Amino acid sequence: MGQSDLDGQIEKLRRCELISENEVKELCRKAREVLIEESNVQRVDAPVTICGDIHGQFYDLKELFKVGGDCPDTNYLFLGDFVDRGFYSVETFLLLLALKVRYPDRITLIRGNHESRQITQVYGFYDECLRKYGSVNVWRHCCEIFDYMSLSAIIENKIFCVHGGLSPIIGSLDQIRTIDRKQEVPHDGAMCDLLWSDPDDIEGWGISPRGAGYLFGGDIVAQFLQNNNLDLIARAHQLVMEGYKLMFNNTIVTVWSAPNYCYRCGNVAAILELDDKLNKNYKIFEAAPQDVRGLPAKKPAPDYFL
Amino acid sequence: MTLTDQSFIEPKKQINDQQDINKWVTSEAYIRLTRFIELLNESVVNKKISDPCFVSELVQKVIDTLDTIMSWIDEIPPLPTSQRFGNKAFRDWVARLEQNAPIIHRDILPPQFHDAIIELVSYFTEGFGNATRIDYGSGHELNFVAWMCCVHLLGLFQEQDYTALVLRVFTKYLDLVRRLQSVYMLEPAGSRGVWGLDDHQFLSYYWGSAQLRDNKHLKPKSILSEELVNMYSSDYIYFGCIKYIREVKRGPFHEHSPLLYDISQVPNWTKVNSGLMKMYVADVLKKFPIVQHFVFGNLLPFKPMAEHQVEDQ
Repeated sequence: MGQSDLDGQIEKLRRCELISENEVKELCRKAREVLIEESNVQRVDAPVTICGDIHGQFYDLKELFKVGGDCPDTNYLFLGDFVDRGFYSVETFLLLLALKVRYPDRITLIRGNHESRQITQVYGFYDECLRKYGSVNVWRHCCEIFDYMSLSAIIENKIFCVHGGLSPIIGSLDQIRTIDRKQEVPHDGAMCDLLWSDPDDIEGWGISPRGAGYLFGGDIVAQFLQNNNLDLIARAHQLVMEGYKLMFNNTIVTVWSAPNYCYRCGNVAAILELDDKLNKNYKIFEAAPQDVRGLPAKKPAPDYFL
Repeated sequence: MTLTDQSFIEPKKQINDQQDINKWVTSEAYIRLTRFIELLNESVVNKKISDPCFVSELVQKVIDTLDTIMSWIDEIPPLPTSQRFGNKAFRDWVARLEQNAPIIHRDILPPQFHDAIIELVSYFTEGFGNATRIDYGSGHELNFVAWMCCVHLLGLFQEQDYTALVLRVFTKYLDLVRRLQSVYMLEPAGSRGVWGLDDHQFLSYYWGSAQLRDNKHLKPKSILSEELVNMYSSDYIYFGCIKYIREVKRGPFHEHSPLLYDISQVPNWTKVNSGLMKMYVADVLKKFPIVQHFVFGNLLPFKPMAEHQVEDQ
C-alpha cells in the first residue's frame, strides 16, 4: 500500500467516510508490522499531547484535533477506549490507526479495556461493524490489531501512561515488559489490571466494583512513582466532568476526551499538552456543535421486532 | 408459587465467566425472574396509570418505603466540593439505605418471613445504584425487580398485586431513581450508548409498551411528537421515559436515541412489546458485564431449573 493510498484513506476517514473492507484488511496488516515492534511500555518523547477515552465520538475527535493541532504537526498519545458507545467507532479507530501507520513516530495508541473482543461484543463496536460492512470481518481484523497494541507508555522516563491504573502484582516497569500482551484482555492478572483499575480515596488496594482490576490509593501511587523514579501517572478510563482530574497531590491525573458523554453528561473533554520540558497545559473542549455533526443514517428496528 | 420450609442464606455471586452464562439462563433463578417479569407485563396490558388499581396493604407499605427513602435525598444534599463526576453524597444515601434495610424489612413484612430478610436486603440495597462508582444502570433495575420477585416468591405479592407492582410501585421506583440520577449525577453504568435502548432503564419500556398494546390513538411513532409525549407521560410509563430522555439529552432524538427512534417505526405495540423482551434477554440478561454482579440465594437459586419445568419449556 503506497503512501498516497494511505493519504487518500486518511482524507476519506477525516470526512467520516468508510474505507473498504479490503482496505481495512491491508491497513491492519500494515499496522500490525508497526505495533509489533512496540514495547509493552512504549517510549514516547516530549513534546506530546495526551488524550483519554474517545468512544466512537468522531465529530468530537475532530474538535480535539482542532484544539490540539492536526497530526503530525502535534505529537499525540491516545490512552485507549477508541471504540464502543458512540456512532462512529469504526471511523474513529481506523482514522487513528491510519495516522499511526502513516506517522508512526508522531502518534502512539495504547490499549484500553474496550479494545477487547468480549467488551466490543457488548458495547457496540461489533454491532457497528456488522451494520456498516454487512459482515464481522472488519471487527475481526480490528480485534487482532487490539492484541498488538501496547499496554502503556513512558514519556521521557518521567510520566507513566496507562488506560486504567496499577496492579498489585506489578511493582516496576520492567515487570510490565515481561507480560505477553498479544492476547485478548484476560479476566484478571497484571494485563487486565493495567486496563481496568481505578484510583480511589482509600489506603492500599481495594476490590473494584467493575468486576475487573482493583482500586488503589494514593500511597500505592506514591510508592510506584518512587520505585520507578517517575513524576506522574497519566490515565483515562473514568468520566470527568471537568475533562481532567488530578488526585493524590497531583501524582495522578485522569484525562477524559469524550465531551457530553452519552449526550447527557454535560461534561467537557480535556487533553494534556506536554512541552519539551514536560510543562503541562490542560486544554478543555466541548462537544462539536450540532451543525458540524453528521447525522447517522436511520435504519430499521432490530430483528427482534419483526 | 409459594415456598414453605424454606431456609435462607446470604446470596452470593455465581457468574464468574462467560461460560457461566449458560448455567445462568438454565437456572431456577432465571426462570423465576423471567416468569415474574412476564406476569407483570400481562397485568398491565391496556391499563393507564390513572386507572383505579387494587393496592394491598403490603404494596402500600412498599410505596411508603420508597417515599421515605426518597425523602432522604433532601436530608443528604449533594456536596458542594468539586468531584470527578458523580456526587459523593450518594455514598451517604446508600449507606443509610444499607443501614436501614433490615429494619425497613422487619417493619413491612410479617414476622414469619423475617428469616428471608437476609436474601431480600441483598437485592434491595443493590437496586438503586453503586456507591463506589456513583452510577446506575440496568443491572440495578434488575436487582429491584429481583427484590419484588423474591417477595412474590414468599407468597406476599399475589396475582391481584401485579398491576400495582408496575403501575404504583415501579412507577414510584422510577421517580426515585430519576431523582437520584439527577441530584447525585449518577453516571450511566455500563451504558451501551447509541447501541443500547436507554442509559439507565429497560423494563420501564417493556412494561410500558404493554400498557399501550391496543391503544387506538397512540402508536409507536407517537413518541416522536413532543406534544403527545407531554400529554401522555403521566399515564404511560413508555412516554414518561421518552419525556425524561428529552429533558436530559441534547441534540436530535434520532441521534442520541437511535434505537428508540428505530423502534418507533415498528407498526404496533404488540411487536414492540414482544421485541423488547427478546432484546432484554439478549442485551441485559445474557450480558456478562451486567449479570456477573448478580447474586443468588435460595429464593433465586443458581441451581439448574427443576426437571418438570424443563418439560414445560
